[in-house]
Amino acid sequence: MNKLYRAAGTVDRDFVGQITYTICLDHPLHELDIEFSFDKQRFQESDVTPALIAETAQICREKYGLTGTEDDVRRAILGKMKTEIHTLATINDEFIGCVHKQLTHRHMHYAWPDASEGCIPRETFEGVLKVTVLVFNVIQDDTHYSLTVRGE
Amino acid sequence: MLKRFELHNHTTESDASITCAELVDLMVRDRVDAFALTDHNTISGHRIVKKILEEKKPPVQCVYGMEYTTYYGHILCLNLRRYVPWDSIDRNCPEKLFRACREAGALAGIAHPFSYGAPFARGCRFEMTVTDFSQVDFIEVFNNSEPLHEVNERGLNGWQALVLRGEKLAATSGMDLHGARDMSMNFATYVEGEPNGDPALELERAIRSQQTWLSKGLALRWSLDADGGARFWLEDVRKPGFVPSDSYLLSLTDANGERTFDITAGERALSAAELGDAPVIIPKLYGESPQIEDLVCLAPVIRR
Repeated sequence: MNKLYRAAGTVDRDFVGQITYTICLDHPLHELDIEFSFDKQRFQESDVTPALIAETAQICREKYGLTGTEDDVRRAILGKMKTEIHTLATINDEFIGCVHKQLTHRHMHYAWPDASEGCIPRETFEGVLKVTVLVFNVIQDDTHYSLTVRGE
Repeated sequence: MLKRFELHNHTTESDASITCAELVDLMVRDRVDAFALTDHNTISGHRIVKKILEEKKPPVQCVYGMEYTTYYGHILCLNLRRYVPWDSIDRNCPEKLFRACREAGALAGIAHPFSYGAPFARGCRFEMTVTDFSQVDFIEVFNNSEPLHEVNERGLNGWQALVLRGEKLAATSGMDLHGARDMSMNFATYVEGEPNGDPALELERAIRSQQTWLSKGLALRWSLDADGGARFWLEDVRKPGFVPSDSYLLSLTDANGERTFDITAGERALSAAELGDAPVIIPKLYGESPQIEDLVCLAPVIRR
């Protein structure tokens, strides 16, 4: 498949929202692949500072009434906190799929009559393709992502 | 007859570990009458399940939906026949999305309102400000994957407070399935229907009239008498794995609080004086004690 578009970006901690890329497909395509990846999904041991533990403990206490030891909070940070980014696509404003899985690397691949999980198969792609990066949670600054669209 | 609906289920089309075919099999094995397909932010499973049901004709029906998984809360959408975009979600006016879903012919409600959200799972707690609850069709009062006290008891209390102040909100329950698991002694949603009736229509009628039963295995039914009293009785809905209690309590909650009456015999008539004259009464069935652990059924609200 031919590479049609490539983009990359950086999001910082606590960014929430969506970033949409619009690609004009001026020739009909019979196969389409949208590849997306990002880094820093989880904290490493070395990222878990006393300040992060204190801040997380405070949120848990104030928002949910949860209390725990420093070790409990550390385990929760390492085991449960994650950067969560998903991808959604439309063609001419018609929904053609969303991959909502806890993956750092994914493909939305379409080759009639098949499509990746979360995606709706279609025979041709022509017109305005929009790929939306849905950013639910970012836990670290300088989280990098990249998007590549290929077609044939 | 009361039909069992399982209204909250995911597949590998989003983040679950079971495929659409495995979900259908699971529902058949547990003798579910109808299930909703509610993957996160996608309707890609609809055509897959439709094909399975058309080709294999298993003894189960499906209502097609989606769980709008937004940054500020999850909105369960049922009878969704076309994708409705949610990218303009407004934390301070979620009514816009509820309205758009309704305009598409769907039912829209709040899923697991008190789940834990950020910083662990942003969006799982419902943090949007609803000003006009008439735009909301239902609240998922029991999400069987969530903790009983921290999430579901708060959900029940929150729904109850809204209903007692006059909001017309149906109650629903769901497994929030992300994999195969035992569904016994969990709440399922029951609605009036026919064996081969259209599940989408039956569900719509039940939700719009708030005629839903959330039950682990017995349905608490009632009828009002001409003299202002009421008759209550229990119906076995034959949910697999239900463990009966030695005794049962009928509970009535109104703006003045909660009262209980013994209904171990399976039926109970209350006089007008016993029923009281509150305009809204929430009937519930408990096992031995009126604690949420012993709750067996949340019945449709009595409105007068």
